[in-house]
Formats: sequence, structure tokens, C-alpha cells
Amino acid sequence: MGAILAAGIALAPLAAVVIVALGPMVDSLTGETFRRYAATSATLALLVGLGSALIGGLAAWLVALHDFPGRRVFAWALVTPLAAPAFVLAYGYASLFDVAGPIRTAWRTAFGWDPPLEMRTLWGAAIVMVLAFYPYVYLTLRAALVNTSSSLAEAARTMGLSRRQTFWRVTLPLARPALAAGVALAVMETLADYGATSYLTVQTLTTGVVRAWSIFYSAAEAARLALPLLAAAAVLLWIERASRRAVADSGQSRWREVERSRLPGFSSWLASLFCLSLIGLGLVLPLGWLAHLGWASNPDLAQLVSAGRNALGLGLVAALVTTALAALVALSARTGRFLPRLLSLGYATPGAVMAIGLLAPAGLIWRAFPATVSSFLMAIILLILAYASRLMAAALEPIDAGLQRISRSVRAAARSLGETEAGVARRVEVPLASGALFTAAMLVFIDVLKELPATMILRPFGFDTLAVMADHYAKDERLGEAAWPALSIVLIAVPAVIWLTRRVSHSRPGDSA
Amino acid sequence: MIKRLAVAATLLGALIATGCQPTGNTATSSAGTDCQPATGGSVNLYTARHYASDAVIYEAFTCATGIRVQKIEVPADQLLARLQAEGDASPADVVVIQDAGAMGQAANAGYIVPFQDAVIDQRVPAQWRDPQGRWFGIARRARIVAYDTRRVRPEEITDYADLASPRFHGQVCVQTSDAVYNLSLMSALIDRWGSERALAWARGIVANMARPPQGSDSDQIKAVAAGQCQVAITNHYYFLRLAESEDAADRAVVEHVALAFPQIAGQGSHFNLSGAGLGAHAPNRENAIRFLEFLTGPEAQRTFATETNEFPTTTEAQMPDDVAAYSHHAADPLPLPAYAEHRAEAQRIFEQAGWR
Repeated sequence: MGAILAAGIALAPLAAVVIVALGPMVDSLTGETFRRYAATSATLALLVGLGSALIGGLAAWLVALHDFPGRRVFAWALVTPLAAPAFVLAYGYASLFDVAGPIRTAWRTAFGWDPPLEMRTLWGAAIVMVLAFYPYVYLTLRAALVNTSSSLAEAARTMGLSRRQTFWRVTLPLARPALAAGVALAVMETLADYGATSYLTVQTLTTGVVRAWSIFYSAAEAARLALPLLAAAAVLLWIERASRRAVADSGQSRWREVERSRLPGFSSWLASLFCLSLIGLGLVLPLGWLAHLGWASNPDLAQLVSAGRNALGLGLVAALVTTALAALVALSARTGRFLPRLLSLGYATPGAVMAIGLLAPAGLIWRAFPATVSSFLMAIILLILAYASRLMAAALEPIDAGLQRISRSVRAAARSLGETEAGVARRVEVPLASGALFTAAMLVFIDVLKELPATMILRPFGFDTLAVMADHYAKDERLGEAAWPALSIVLIAVPAVIWLTRRVSHSRPGDSA
Repeated sequence: MIKRLAVAATLLGALIATGCQPTGNTATSSAGTDCQPATGGSVNLYTARHYASDAVIYEAFTCATGIRVQKIEVPADQLLARLQAEGDASPADVVVIQDAGAMGQAANAGYIVPFQDAVIDQRVPAQWRDPQGRWFGIARRARIVAYDTRRVRPEEITDYADLASPRFHGQVCVQTSDAVYNLSLMSALIDRWGSERALAWARGIVANMARPPQGSDSDQIKAVAAGQCQVAITNHYYFLRLAESEDAADRAVVEHVALAFPQIAGQGSHFNLSGAGLGAHAPNRENAIRFLEFLTGPEAQRTFATETNEFPTTTEAQMPDDVAAYSHHAADPLPLPAYAEHRAEAQRIFEQAGWR
């Protein structure tokens, strides 16, 4: 029952998008424009996919299989860029590379010509997004490399393969599904992004959706533009899921710490420098510059505090509700894999598309209960449901993984001792997967902090969150004031991200959670 | 596990109790001693504007009337989408959007309805009112040209057509075509010049661009200052904001930049409007009318000019010297419905011309 409810909540907006897309045709965007948007989206996805595979992959390989100065710190610090929304990185980089910005000015003074890189181009956007999304590749690949049973590598060594041969012929093929999964996540985020691409004036399908909607007032046209994005999301999810299964299949139950090789002097420092520059470019430089801008402006402290409280409160409630719903789905759908995959579509769907999909069901509720339209509680409930449908996948993944680790025999034993199905879930499975539940809640919390389009359109009167506040100021071209809420998001999210990373790196195959 | 959950739940409860209170009440915080007690009910405001000036005005309104302002600030497109989804149940009393085209769309869709008010009709000239009485202008912004005073003479830019001439080859900076202010400018050009000439103009601008369209209006002005282009299309108040900034670096930007006010077919420059209208299903209609009147009052009109550097729409409004210095420029008296009417065609022309 609960699972059906959860599925309904998650699918309603997506169904609404498809229904809206069937609406009347209007003459709006030309076919050529559509092709240009699609080509830009595809190129951007390709660049970010390649870039994050390369950078995130190298970082994971270094950290998981080698020893070099600072490795232990880098192991978790490399994930911290996840705490910064891509649009915040875009603010920072666009301003840094502006015609009158510090980098361009300094470069011109030093060399007498313009630096060859513009941030407000396809390449600029690709760089910003690689820096924002490489941690997805890093996280999944590092986990896979660490978890590759060392016995396989040892077997390969015993059979006469060199260290290098072992890597290319055993370790890498085993880790390839993880690499694919990480890249799929990075590409999904890229396709779904609106904030960063629109700020950098790169015109993708996602920005096209917004354009069709805001200029031609055609939800139908916007929804039709969104369909290829939904299809791409489905394909990427399928890749991600299939890869995950392959990773699971290669897991061995006997586990021992992977042997790390010590890098020789010079290259060990090179490795440190590489990791350091990733953190520097992904977090310190753009956020430091924003902090510098923010320092010169006067923040509205009262507004900042109330926006922060709102964001925290929403994040916690949404985390709890979404995790509970996802747990219901995961528990009842343990045999079928189709439902979770379908529900996960919401995660890969651009926020702007979801906003269209969210308004339709919300409108039905509003019209049915007109008295509740301006009610604070109703708006918050709708918002929480919106987060739940958008972020179901983020919660479902870790819960699913946690439940799969519980052996079938444990359930069977509980059943044979007279527990009902629900009792098994409540008294055996949920406690065993509690770690996974917390991980799921934390992921949802971080995403809600960064969420913009749904919050913007569904929130109650006079209700700001940090992301909404940052967006307001940035739209008004006041980056200094935007810096305060933007940095607050990062400051709240960083500890959560670090906590998550440490959890993931300490969990081992065969552990209960 | 259970213990951890309990702790989380307690924390959560505390946050819901303290954190999720509505924060829209602006009356209590800084209400002076002369203010009315905030017992006059409320007015539900849907606004796409996001300026500091507006918060000052809401507070002044609550102080003067005792009516609380409950607002939702959302970009224009989402505002319209939300109004559509709410339908008859919409609690919107007042709708405010800083673009004449979007106001026209809201009116055509029936989200705002005609109303008669002698005070507003007397204060706001007919030129800045919807002929069907569905909305009226509360503040004006000129979309004009910032130029490099070292390389351009102001008499070289007397008409928007000049920007597309070979004189400025490789010298024009401008935002992307989906910037709503560009769309309204294009709508005006379509109406005055006809579609063909408007398309030729857009092609000329694309040929003259110094760089692909990007960034904000402030960025265009900074590009002129940095020598990347000689002329840029911008709204006037971004220039004034830089000129009066506390930051010396901002003021340095406009040292060699000035504003020119080109004309459309000799009719005047393009001035866009922030508009206000009465919600079609306004639950607090009387409060809404009082709020709409207040927006045209001397205090609100002066605040638009001082805080956001916009031009007032009422004739007797006061404004600071730097805004007043530009207020004599003639505005194209295009009938307001034209902006919404040409909106879709404007975007198509931009796309045909390859203006990203």
C-alpha cells in the first residue's frame, strides 16, 4: 500500500509532463533551433563525461591504489566540491573570468593579450561542470577499486602478471562498471542542470525548455522539448543500474585492505599537487572569490538567518519523508527491479521540467481545496512531496544497496520464527539497513539545500531558502549579496558530504550496512 | 538505531516549530511609533520584481495602512504558470511584473482583470495605462545604449538602426535573445518598423557583435569600459547603479562610458514598464486596490527612483538628481498591448537572425 502511494507521488509529475506534451501544438521554436539545442546538450554531456571520467578516474586511481603525501586527507577532501551547487561555481568562475574580472585583467597586464578561455562558452561551462561533477566518478570508482577483492589481484600476481599488467587486465576491467556508473551520474546532472548553464549563457535543451515555457507560454512545447531529456535520463539510468549490478556481481566476500603502492619521490608530489589543484579549482578558488565579493557587501542578516532556518527545516523534513517513502518502495519491490528504476527517472529530470510536471497535480489539489491555496501548511506539504518525487532515486539507491546486503537466509529465518512480512521489515531489515537509511536521508538533505526550481514555484508566501535568496541576488546582478547565501549552503553541506564520504569509505562488502 | 531516530525526530520537531514559521510579516520588525497597528488584514502579492526598493515600499504600506503584505517573489514565467495552475482558487490579490510583455500576457490570459480607480487614473498618464484598464505602469526603465566616450560620439547613435550599421562592425555587446528586455525592445521595433525591417536589423546586430551574446546588462557596460566593444544595449539603471556605487572599482567602470537615448522611427526611446494589476479572484479586493493606489503614491514612486534608479510613471513624482538628469528623454508611446502581441514573433525573429 505504502509503496503504491510512494510510487504515485514519484510518478505523478512525470506523467503530467507526458500528458502536457500531448497538448495542442503551437508554432514556436523552429526545428533548426531545436537541433542546435540538442547538439549543444550532446556536446556538453560528452565533454563533461570525458572530463570527469579522466579527472575523477585519475584521482580515484591515485587515492585508492597509491600512497603519497596527504592521501588520507585527499581521500575525503576530493568529494567536498559536491557540497557546492554547480550554479554557485558558475557565479564564481563567470565573475573571475569576466572582462573586468581579476584573472582577465591580470593576464592582460602581464601578457598584453586576452586569456584564451572564456567562461561564458560551451568550453567554460564544460570546465565548471567537470569541476562540480567529477566527485561522482571519483566516489564510485574509488569504492570499486578499494572493494575489488585483493585476492583476485594476488592471484593475478601469483600467475606471473606484473603490477602494471594486473592493473590493465584485472583491476581496471573489474572497475569499469563503476567508472560507467559514475560518468552516467555526472552526465545526468549535466543534462538536468539549468542554473549553471543559463548563468553561463550556454543554450541547451534544458534552457530551451525554459525558453519555450517563458516566452511562448507553451507548456506543451516545453514538455515536448523535455521528452528527449527524459529518454536520455532513462538510458543513463539503465547504464548506471546495469553497471551497479556488474559491480555487485564481482564482489567477493573475503575482504582485505588493498595493497597500495608507494609512489616514488617526484611523482608522489605530482600526485599531491594534482589532488590539491582539484580541490583548489573546484572549491577554494571560486568560493574564495565569492567570499571576497561578499565581504565587500552588506548582507541582510535577518533574511539570511530566516532563509537558513527555512532551508534546514525543509531539508530535514524532506529527508525524513523521502527516506521513509523510498524505504517502503525498496522493501516491497525487492523482487522486481523495474519500479525503482522507473521512480528514479525524477532524479535525472531537469528541475525546470519537473516544475511543469509538479504544477499540474498541485493545480488539481488547489482547485479541489481552494481554501488551502494560500495556506502555509499546504504549500509546505506540496513542496515536500515535490522533493520526494524529485529525489526518490537519491534515497532509493543506498537503501536498495543496503537491503541487498542482507542475506536471504536472514529473512527466511525470521519468517520461520513466526514473523509476518511487515514484522520482518520492521524488526529485521530496517534495523540492519539503518546505516543505509541515514545515508539516504543525508543525500536528500544535501540535494534539498541546493534545490531551486521546485522551491521557487511551490513555496508559500514570504518563504525564502538559501538557494532562492542566492538566485534572487544573482539575477539582480548583485553577486556580493548572492555570495552570502551561496556560501551558507556550502558551509552547511560540507560537513554532511564529509560525513557521507567517510561512511562510504568505511563500509565494506559483507558489512551489515 | 531507535535512539538515533528519536534524537532526529526531536530535532526535527523543534525545527518545524521554530524554523518553518511564515516570515512574510514585515510590519512588526521595524514599525515606527507613527505606524498603524497591523490589524488591517493582508494583501497577497505575486511579484516578479526582486529589488530592495520594493521591500521598503511594502513596509511603508503596512505602516500607513496596517495591512500586511504577503508576497511570493517568482520569475515572470513561473509566476504566470503558478497563476494558471491555481485557476479560480488563486489567492493573488495583486500581480506585479517588471515587463510590459509579460503583464500583457497575464492580462490576455485573464489572470488580472480590469478595474476602475479615479486616483490611479488621475496620477498615471494614459500612455502608461493599459487601454482596457487591466494594468498600469508603476515604474519605467529605458532600454538604451551605453557607449565608450573615447571612441564614439553621441550623435552617431540617434536611432536604434544605427547600431546595425557597418559603423559599429564588431563593436556591439548585448545579452542573449531570451533576455526579456530584449524581447520587449524587439516587439517595439516590429510594431514600428514591420517584421522585415526588424529582422534585417537583428541580422545587422548579429553581424556587428563583438562577442557572442552573454552575461548581464552590467557585464555589457563593463565590456564597453574594458574596450571589448564600443556600444552596448542596456537598461539605464544598471549604468546608474555602477555610477553611484560605493565601490571605487564600479565607479571607475563608467569613467569613460555614457548613455545615449536612440529613437525608434522618431517616436522616442524604448521604455519598458513594471506593471501592476488586480488579481482576477482577489480575496482581499479592497486591500488590493489600496495597495495599487499606494504604488502610484508619492512615497512609492520616489522610492522606485531613489532605490532602483527607475523612472516614476506619475508626473509629479520626485526623483534624485542622477535619475532626473535622464528623465527628459522622450519615450516611444507604443500602445501597451503591442508588447504581448509581438512577443512570440520577436523570439522567432531573433532565432532567424541567429541571435543566440
